[in-house]
Amino acid sequence: MNLRNYIIRRILLVIPVLFGVSIIIFVILSLFSPEQRAAAFITDVKQLRNIKSVIKTYHLDAPLYLQYFYWLKEVLHGNLGWSRTASRPVLEALFYFLPNTVELGLFSIVPIVLIGIWLGSASAVHQNRFIDHLSRTIAIIGWSLPTFWFGLLLLMIFYGYFKGLFPPEALSTSTSLYVHSPNFVRFTHINTIDALLNWKGSVLLDALRHLVLPVITLTVVQCALVMRIMRSSMLEALGKGYVTTARAKGADEKTVIKKHVKRNAMIPVITVSGYLFAGLMNGVVITETIFNRKGLGWWWWRAAVQLDIPAILGAVLFNGILFVLTNLVVDLLYAYFDPRVRLG
Amino acid sequence: MNSYLLNVQDLKTNFYTYEGVVKALDGINFKIEEGKTLGLVGETGCGKSVTVLSILRLILPPGKIEEGKVIFKTDEKRVDLLTQTEVFMRKIRGNEISIIFQEPSSALNPVYSINDQVSESFLLHRKEELCKKVIEEIEADIQKNPFFLKKAVYQIEEKIYRKMLKDPDAILLRLLSKVPILRRYQHRLKKQAKRETIRLLRKLGIPNPEGVVNRYPHELSGGMQQRIVIAMALACNPKLLIADEPTSNLDVTIQAQILDLIREIRKRLDSSILFITHDLGVVAEMCDYVAVMYAGNICEMAPTRRLFKNPLHPYTVALMRSLPELGKKRLESIKGNVPNLINPPSGCRFHPRCSKAMKICSKEKPETVEVEKEHFVACHIYPQDNK
Amino acid sequence: MRLNLSFVNAKWDDLKREMEPRIKELKFSFSRIKKSPLSLVGLFLILFFVIIAVLAPELAPPKYPHNPYRIPRYGYSAIPRPPSPEHPFGLTEGQYDIYYGVIWGTRTAFRIGFIVVGSILVIGIVLGSISGYYGGIVDEIIMRVVDTFMSLPTLVLAMALVTALGRSLDNVMKALIIVGWPSYARLIRGDILTVREEGYVEAARAVGCSDLRVILKHVLPNAIYPLLIMASLDIGAMVLTAAALSFLGLGAPVGYADWGQMVSFARNWIVGPPDNPLAYWYTITIPGLFILFFVLGWNLLGDAFRDILDPKLRRR
Ligand SMILES: Nc1ncnc2c1ncn2[C@@H]1O[C@H](COP(=O)(O)OP(=O)(O)OP(=O)(O)O)[C@@H](O)[C@H]1O
Ligand code: SF4
Ligand SMILES: [Mg+2]
Repeated sequence: MNLRNYIIRRILLVIPVLFGVSIIIFVILSLFSPEQRAAAFITDVKQLRNIKSVIKTYHLDAPLYLQYFYWLKEVLHGNLGWSRTASRPVLEALFYFLPNTVELGLFSIVPIVLIGIWLGSASAVHQNRFIDHLSRTIAIIGWSLPTFWFGLLLLMIFYGYFKGLFPPEALSTSTSLYVHSPNFVRFTHINTIDALLNWKGSVLLDALRHLVLPVITLTVVQCALVMRIMRSSMLEALGKGYVTTARAKGADEKTVIKKHVKRNAMIPVITVSGYLFAGLMNGVVITETIFNRKGLGWWWWRAAVQLDIPAILGAVLFNGILFVLTNLVVDLLYAYFDPRVRLG
Repeated sequence: MNSYLLNVQDLKTNFYTYEGVVKALDGINFKIEEGKTLGLVGETGCGKSVTVLSILRLILPPGKIEEGKVIFKTDEKRVDLLTQTEVFMRKIRGNEISIIFQEPSSALNPVYSINDQVSESFLLHRKEELCKKVIEEIEADIQKNPFFLKKAVYQIEEKIYRKMLKDPDAILLRLLSKVPILRRYQHRLKKQAKRETIRLLRKLGIPNPEGVVNRYPHELSGGMQQRIVIAMALACNPKLLIADEPTSNLDVTIQAQILDLIREIRKRLDSSILFITHDLGVVAEMCDYVAVMYAGNICEMAPTRRLFKNPLHPYTVALMRSLPELGKKRLESIKGNVPNLINPPSGCRFHPRCSKAMKICSKEKPETVEVEKEHFVACHIYPQDNK
Repeated sequence: MRLNLSFVNAKWDDLKREMEPRIKELKFSFSRIKKSPLSLVGLFLILFFVIIAVLAPELAPPKYPHNPYRIPRYGYSAIPRPPSPEHPFGLTEGQYDIYYGVIWGTRTAFRIGFIVVGSILVIGIVLGSISGYYGGIVDEIIMRVVDTFMSLPTLVLAMALVTALGRSLDNVMKALIIVGWPSYARLIRGDILTVREEGYVEAARAVGCSDLRVILKHVLPNAIYPLLIMASLDIGAMVLTAAALSFLGLGAPVGYADWGQMVSFARNWIVGPPDNPLAYWYTITIPGLFILFFVLGWNLLGDAFRDILDPKLRRR
């Protein structure tokens, strides 16, 4: 009962954020000339030839506040404009590029979270000992690494020096041809999963080989955040009265840490994991760009360089929605981990 | 005084902070006899909680127990807890010595239900008995002649529990408890522990224990939380119960109820109690002996009657004077400040505030002497022996 | 005349008494910085870069005095040339001098860091104070704006802003300021709310203190340490994001002394000829290391501040 109210409250809180995101997008849009803005309403290449009439039909010379509603109407109807760089409407392009990004994200988030939590708690449990100093140093270096430079360095070593051991892009040319042939059914468009579903070991291996470097890049850079939060919340939990209570009951140190400390320390980590996704998207843009992996990030980069306005605005919208969705999931997880929310 | 249960000798504990070394315990001595209650009183920050934690070796870095002995009688033997292994200590903690903590709201883990937390004590120290009960239960189930598949399951369960009885740390059991579905074998054990928990709560007079057991700490009132903490401490019938200001964070009516509860326990159990408090009134009524603590030292210890009738140490005298009427019980109105334990006063730590201070007081630390029978004082006023 | 002086003296004594615990704190903090090796490393790294930035005209005399940030070129061939006595770090794609670029790039980095974080601090403090102090609808609006900005990934939002504003280093800085202020506003607002709960504000107002004075006297001194930590960490983070934008081709104009751009020059040269795959290592390694150490310096410093100033950690 209470849980339901909690969820409803959370969902209602989402609305102002989405509204705010729409305002930001519209403000960015209004920085352009009417001709440039017209692209945000076009859904077809043919319309491009007659910009003047587009401006007329969509009232692009009307006062700004009116234009906002015209634009919002289009967005709510799923019309996000035409992306030149993707040669298709933005909404379609989002789904076209999504699988590669999802694949990268899924493969990175697992090591980021696991390593981050593990390092963070080991560091807190052995505060001021060797492992603590080591993992904090690693974390702070990872945090300071320029993603783009680190990725290139990895390419230099594992692609250049080791003769193409871990290549850039998402698939090698021959595999790519095979994947797009009728012999290969594309269930999800996510290479590794499709390879499994088609039971094709060679495709799977190739896809994994292409994932290694981007995943390492993202993990090294993003892990630091999780580690840092986990460490400080572990330290806080370690000092709590209930930990002493557990020890005074006669529980061994392993149980105390695992059962009493970690469970509590996870709560702050969960609350910020929504922001973790935002950070991950930053990393994705750069990683996909340097590794030439044709996903959302790569597309947004091309769009930004080539002034493909609708694509850029689509990127902002996508991230806003992503944040809202991840935060809803986070809130549910939070309720699971913290009975004070679940019942209070 | 040979029947003592706990004998603390020259216990020293320091905290190594960045700002300096906090000399929290500066060689304290006291004894608790079997079945008796010792009250420990002193101003806030004088080291009462540190004493408790030092006895059970729960001092965490940057704190360190420097020296001393904590002799405890277990299995008719006397052992120094400070030299025992960690494994041995775990068998003592919560089982033979247990603590009721100062602040119930922080002593309970917010993410586990009351059942989880109280059961934990049973599962840690009473596993064998629980196992035996479970085996009986399974045998009864088998007797009922169930469907043959179910019977097979029961038999496997029985085997597992017999194994647990023989060797609780068996690798097989540890493996099983890692696998999600097989982990359910512990179900019966947990159910048994829950039954014990409910029985315990009922014994402590907690209304509706079946309901309370499934609640989470934040859903209970402060008084109820403290009762749960007390239940946790009593789970395994400890020989020594340490109550660290069990009522100081509760409001007055609830304080009275909790004190009643502890009185009840004192009457019913034959355990010794170390009762820590600010409240001299409670001490007078509940304790057989009193130790007065000041800035990491025990300055006076005596049977309660004698101490109240004839306080010898200037600090104790000042304490007594600070509660002229019955209503006013807090120990406040002694002139001067509680000393900083990083740079404690030299010699007798009380000398800057002492009205009877002499020259020697700032130079030498007074020895503890037995002025009368069972009446110990650490003060230069009283002739120091072995000089 | 004499009366006046005594008044000043009394004021001075007041001030001294008031500041004494703070000065003691500060001394204590510094004694701890000296003891922590990592923060010393951070301090030295930053000092090193300050020296480079200050001495840039001596270390690398500009070829175009009116525009020292333009990296001199020594030819137009695309193929990089390895380090040599005249060009200690070699020449990157397009024959830009790497040594010159990283030296003057240090100034660019400091400029970006200080301008961006300085502006963020001001905007964040002002909006956060307004929000926390006046509450009500103003607070609600500002906080919703903060929420919105914080829901979007920094780099994506900055990318969008730079495309809209036009490609230049100044616009990169503007975009980063727009992206960066909300977390500061939130921090200050939180602090003001705690101070308000403690009742200072009402008390101070009752004695006739102006709003500004209350904020300056009661709120900022408490918030200054968290702000310092955040600012130090953010100088690193902002320079990193700016470098990323330049790398992506959205920042500094071609040929401008900027570390991010110098890494992007190296993009085509990460793999050398088959017999010597690491032939062009210098094009990528050197500018990248400059970014890494610069950011590392600020992060180490921020981290050390955090350890030293965190009241929870102090007693331990
Ligand atoms: N973890 C710690 N780090 C540093 N100093 C500590 C720590 N724990 C206790 N101390 C110091 O040890 C001294 C004794 O503290 P303790 O908690 O035992 O006081 P107490 O007598 O229990 O007071 P109260 O009546 O408030 O519970 C205090 O001066 C305190 O500053
Ligand atoms: S030893 Fe001296 S200072 Fe200490 S209590 Fe006795 S008389 Fe007072
Ligand atoms: Mg205490």
